[in-house]
Amino acid sequence: MKSKDVFSYSFSAIRLRKLRAGLTTLGVVIGIAAIVALLSITQGLQDTITLQLQTGFATDTLIVSTGGGFGLGAEGAMGTAGSGFKLFVNDTQTINEIENVSMSIAIIQKVGYVQFGGRNRTVTIVGVDFAKYASIYSSTFVAESGDIPPYPGNMTVVVGKRVSDPWKNETLFCNVNDDVEIKWTNATARPPKNETYTGHVSAVLQEIGGFGVVGPSDSAIYIPISKAESFFGTDECDMVIVKLENDDKATIDSTSKAIRNAFNRQVQVMSATAVLNILSNVFSIIQLFLAGIAAISLLVAGIGIMNIMMVSLMERTREIGILKALGMKSRTVLMVFLGESTIIGLMGAAIGIGSGWVLANVVALVFHGGGVIMGNQAAGTGGITITPVLTPSVFLGALVFGVGVSVIFALYPAWRASKLKPVEALRYE
Amino acid sequence: MTAIVEAVNLKKTYMLGKVPVEALRGVNMKVESGDFLAVLGPSGSGKSTLLNLIGALDKPTEGKLLIEGVDVSTLNDNQLAGLRRRVGFVFQFFNLIPRFTARENVELSMSIADIGRAERRKQAEDLLETVGLKERMNHKPAELSGGEQQRVAIARALANNPRFLLMDEPTGNIDSKTANEIMGLIKRINEEKGVTIIMVTHDQRLATQAKRMVQMFDGVITREIVN
Repeated sequence: MKSKDVFSYSFSAIRLRKLRAGLTTLGVVIGIAAIVALLSITQGLQDTITLQLQTGFATDTLIVSTGGGFGLGAEGAMGTAGSGFKLFVNDTQTINEIENVSMSIAIIQKVGYVQFGGRNRTVTIVGVDFAKYASIYSSTFVAESGDIPPYPGNMTVVVGKRVSDPWKNETLFCNVNDDVEIKWTNATARPPKNETYTGHVSAVLQEIGGFGVVGPSDSAIYIPISKAESFFGTDECDMVIVKLENDDKATIDSTSKAIRNAFNRQVQVMSATAVLNILSNVFSIIQLFLAGIAAISLLVAGIGIMNIMMVSLMERTREIGILKALGMKSRTVLMVFLGESTIIGLMGAAIGIGSGWVLANVVALVFHGGGVIMGNQAAGTGGITITPVLTPSVFLGALVFGVGVSVIFALYPAWRASKLKPVEALRYE
Repeated sequence: MTAIVEAVNLKKTYMLGKVPVEALRGVNMKVESGDFLAVLGPSGSGKSTLLNLIGALDKPTEGKLLIEGVDVSTLNDNQLAGLRRRVGFVFQFFNLIPRFTARENVELSMSIADIGRAERRKQAEDLLETVGLKERMNHKPAELSGGEQQRVAIARALANNPRFLLMDEPTGNIDSKTANEIMGLIKRINEEKGVTIIMVTHDQRLATQAKRMVQMFDGVITREIVN
């Protein structure tokens, strides 16, 4: 029997039981949709974060911190070494003397509040040297309105776009030339003490997007480093950003080593490449984990296919007997049954990929909205925009996996069908 | 005339649970090209078992069965399937595929034999015309009477120009008037097309319309009559 005819025979059997075939296909659709949605969202998230890192974290910069990781989020460090070692603002002088270092800046950051017109917003208060920070982050630490003064006065404040326009609708929280109250609670003092001062907004940054992992952030406010030292009552810094003379791997490696040695190996030095590698690994694990969970639902769908094929085998025993009496080979009977599962798998995978893609976009849209709301409360998140990414490998993988699971679970029923003895099958009631 | 079918001491034993049942206990017979043989016998005499063996639907337990000179017991699964494509089978309960129309049912056996779509469509229409069903060819079995369904089954059996037709109680499930028409058709196929026919029946009246008949009882041939 020609393969075209086998396929059309299989199709006619599926068409006969539309509802049953539809429900079986639905199982595959759900499994594939879950896989595609989860993978394309995580891929989108990875791409967004990678892009953010690449813009905020130039390849010729190093991050020096005391923690086990790099400065991340409001608290400044992800995991701490616990050695008690501290970095200070004037440690930049030590770093500046190291070969290949063109400049370095200390950053002090704390979570605090900005109050204006009776309303409060949680922000990350970042103390930096404006001129040097602007020179390292020349594309992101840029004023949209107002000016970032290279030699700022003590009360100067530069605010991120989401601090000025948190609802993205031009209803401004504060604007250039406003005087805002900056608050911070010193929790290490006994009893905890609220610190407040009035700053003058000299500039609103242009929108950066995403969340500033290392570089400038939409939901942070920037104050001069000297003011930060007096306001926070410390000259201990959270991290030092080092600009190198070039981004050669050899330069990055040797300078990283030199910086570590200069501080008796008590500091962590991270390069953009290393961070991106770690991030990529983390995302691979997340993707694998999520795909694994989704694959379980596809496995359940596979068992559904097997079940339905077994029922079909019982119902069509006589039909198989007729086919064999007409001279159909056992192998062709096998192909007829596998053809049915292939069609179910193909339809399920195709619809699943489509609906998974739609689902990913809906989730991204909801997440995006949620991100804006979250931005009201949490510092460090400025409304993440995730664009789901459906890579060709995810597309092909989902298709192959959907069809593969369908075919594998149909193997046993198909084999049983092909092994039926014609005379017994014809006698089956 | 050459023997198309030759059975030598043919035996078939079934296991009914743990009890062996001897359906055939040593059948010797010869069917020659162009013959019309009726196998007559009561229920349980082994006539259907004999037909299933000749149609390669089952394998003998002992003895020899030569189809066109080839010993059936030496054939593998694929070769048996190949042999079945050269045999036309007509069953008592028609055994048509319910979701296919009359024409599609006839086409099915040709599609199994790798015949292309255009050719099998034309042949199916010709065959349905031969059995007098051209007007009803786009109807499904459920929309056809018993007699009409059996005509479709005969057309299907003739589809691959078989060397012989095997008929298992072809009129057993239809009324006597239609049965006579079907018998007329079968005789016409034998006489005009020269197709060899082996027909199993328990109806003496029908058996006498064949050229030759053998009487079976308890798994052996007890009598042979040339009509």
